[in-house]
Amino acid sequence: MRADPVITGLGTIGPGGQGRAALARALALGKPAVTEVDRAGGAHRESGARLAALVRERDLSRFIAPAAGRRMSFPSRLAVAAGRMALEEAGLGAADTGGARTGVYLSTTFGPGLFTELLLRAVFLEGAAAAQPFHFSECVANAPAAQLAIAVGARGPSLMLTQREAGPILAVARAAQAVREGRVDRALAGAVEEITPLLHALLDRFGALAGPGDGRVEMPRPFDRRRDGFLAGEGATVVVIEREEAARARGARAQARIGWSGAAFDPTATVSDWGDGHAALAGSLAAGLREVPGGARGIGAVVSGASGARRGDRLEAHVLRAVWSGDPLPPLLVPKAVTGEYGGGILGPALLALEGASFGPTPGFAEIDPEVEVAPHRGAASPAPERVLLTGLASGGGAAWLVLERTA
Amino acid sequence: MDASPPRGTGMPGADREFDRSRAVVVTGIGAVGPLGWSVESLWEGLIAGRTAVGPFDRFDHTGHRTHVAAQVDLAAEPRRARGKPRRISNADRFAVAAARSAVARAAIDPRDRRERAGVFFGSSTGGMFESEAYLAALLAPAPGHRRPPAASLLASQQNNGPGDAVARDLGVGGPVQSVSAACASGAIAIGEAVNAIRRGEVEVAIAGGSDSLCRLTYAGFNALRAVDERPCRPFRGDRAGLSLGEGAAVLVLESRARAEARGARPLAVAAGEAATCDAHHMTSPQPEGSGAAAAIRAALADARVDPEAIDFVNAHGTGTPLNDAAECAALMAVFGDRTADLPVTSTKSLVGHLLGSAGALEAVATILCLLHGEVHPMPDDGRSDANLPLRLVLGRPLRLARARHALSTSLGFGGANAALVFTRVLDQDHAR
Repeated sequence: MRADPVITGLGTIGPGGQGRAALARALALGKPAVTEVDRAGGAHRESGARLAALVRERDLSRFIAPAAGRRMSFPSRLAVAAGRMALEEAGLGAADTGGARTGVYLSTTFGPGLFTELLLRAVFLEGAAAAQPFHFSECVANAPAAQLAIAVGARGPSLMLTQREAGPILAVARAAQAVREGRVDRALAGAVEEITPLLHALLDRFGALAGPGDGRVEMPRPFDRRRDGFLAGEGATVVVIEREEAARARGARAQARIGWSGAAFDPTATVSDWGDGHAALAGSLAAGLREVPGGARGIGAVVSGASGARRGDRLEAHVLRAVWSGDPLPPLLVPKAVTGEYGGGILGPALLALEGASFGPTPGFAEIDPEVEVAPHRGAASPAPERVLLTGLASGGGAAWLVLERTA
Repeated sequence: MDASPPRGTGMPGADREFDRSRAVVVTGIGAVGPLGWSVESLWEGLIAGRTAVGPFDRFDHTGHRTHVAAQVDLAAEPRRARGKPRRISNADRFAVAAARSAVARAAIDPRDRRERAGVFFGSSTGGMFESEAYLAALLAPAPGHRRPPAASLLASQQNNGPGDAVARDLGVGGPVQSVSAACASGAIAIGEAVNAIRRGEVEVAIAGGSDSLCRLTYAGFNALRAVDERPCRPFRGDRAGLSLGEGAAVLVLESRARAEARGARPLAVAAGEAATCDAHHMTSPQPEGSGAAAAIRAALADARVDPEAIDFVNAHGTGTPLNDAAECAALMAVFGDRTADLPVTSTKSLVGHLLGSAGALEAVATILCLLHGEVHPMPDDGRSDANLPLRLVLGRPLRLARARHALSTSLGFGGANAALVFTRVLDQDHAR
């Protein structure tokens, strides 16, 4: 039996609904579940983006008692609910997770935005005395990880990784290493994000979001020639990671084995955009994939972190083409076109891909960009891959990759 | 209840690459803080017991109940340390300056084998200070001023800002990982870096943390009534809260074998690390300090150092009534009767609470104490607390010329605990 850790539970809450079935339906449909963002705050540009992939099914009372939920920010509630959903699927209860042998490794890009805004708004508009202690305690970035640890009694390491788009993969990779190296017996790992109207407006002002310019439909267009930004998405995804023999000993189903993981950095990136350092990133990825059975050819599908970002998708395409130089690229699944960017939108789809779930055509893709020469998945049925590669290239320079394998 | 502490190390054979016996050494340190822009100025201030907490002017704090903090003198930034002025936050500036200083001291250039160098950085607010200026202009524009503020103020808002800035500045091509675990961020980042070297993921790790003063934390801690109106007095009977500070600190870490091969003289061994969570409350520590004690025990086990061998403790020591009491309980749980004789100091008493970089700056302070054979003092201010029977280093330095092992603790919001053990490198170690 391999020493690599396995995933035994998935909890996911996103724009498509709660749970893996809702996510599978959304992916099969191949259409982002978008919501018109509240623009009443006045921070939006008149001509800017209007849509986001927001969590619409916000009743989490199956996982959190209302009284407890009132003491949490929305991201904390999402993290606790997704964590409990994952534990439920893994067949683990409070007796299993309580104690020092369970760790929590989550990721976020922006942290609890609404509470941060509320606190600052109070200070700016009403004066310092108006600041609410409750808002402050929940606006630290690690609050969702801490609340999840408190909820399940996990007293191992609890941390939030903040590496933007590379964060969700990094969180799973670090958690898997902690399990593999015996620092914890099991880990809850994943990502959580909240998209507030203000954050949406700021991302739009930064030119990051797909917009409705020139009378076009506002949607992300990963790898498409006309792509102009991503769709902001919120939600939470948490997976349960444990050693394979421990999972088998208790009769749990191993959904995927966590194989190679790697991380790198592109120092040519600017603080808020992607760089041009595809050659070095491809070198790091290629070197890592040599440790994977079959090398790059052993990868049955790439679950790409592409999102429709102009430079981000270009960098992703150039890295992948360099690694698969001379060989055809594996099917390129782009789930963020459905789930939106952030909130761990890549983790659940990767597990579903391994199980042979159907993915609809990549929304927004119509025309190959001659600059990137990559076409994402167009909806054709294909056998379940033996092994998938998850990619996460972050604005600012971060990069992370992870290989998940089907278990026997 | 599972009473067993987490193992801070890998299980033998669990991973072919993870090598617990791979000694990790510190070959460079850098620091920027309220005591200055260099390790030398930090040490001069620490050993003199000179507090940097006092009146400050970084932002308007007239409406708050307290009016002290420990701020970095931005005008004193050395010209050679200056980053690109645009789109770089104070936290980024501190981080870059500290990192440049650390790699210069280590005599390494991360570009040499850039894909084998990594950055592991903690921050709790990143570029929040600059973002606040944007938000203030957006939410409460001055009368007649309707033009949107420059979005570049937001560029480095997220907590990955300082670590990414360091990686870009040094040309790092290996893993870059930003950690946010509130006040334990910097220490956890160092622990993550130690493990990355042990598993052979990187040859050189640039690890630390950076945070800057901002309205959010000043208002938040004041709202919690956790800020002292006077400079903080950790572990003292009349302590009334923390004092906020800002700055960055960086360690250059590599395997002992690599350092020896290139003829570098290690400053210390990063002997042990561990992290735990109280899983108790978002802002209040577990009263018996059980989570902190578990982290300390695990770090000692990781370092293969008995509690009796620890020569002094650089405590988290914020000055808040509950935190200091819980930390004292944790120390007593681990060190037992010896606690009363174990020298304890708190760097926060002199530089304030640097939040996400506190653990990193205190790691540097701990290493400096080992190197100099002296434990820096806390101001002899306030009265003793009979409920906290600690041997505080007060008023003047404590000479411990033979000190070998030291413990640094970091305890954060959300119950995040981290402990680091540093070991002095003796001359005979070099002679081996």
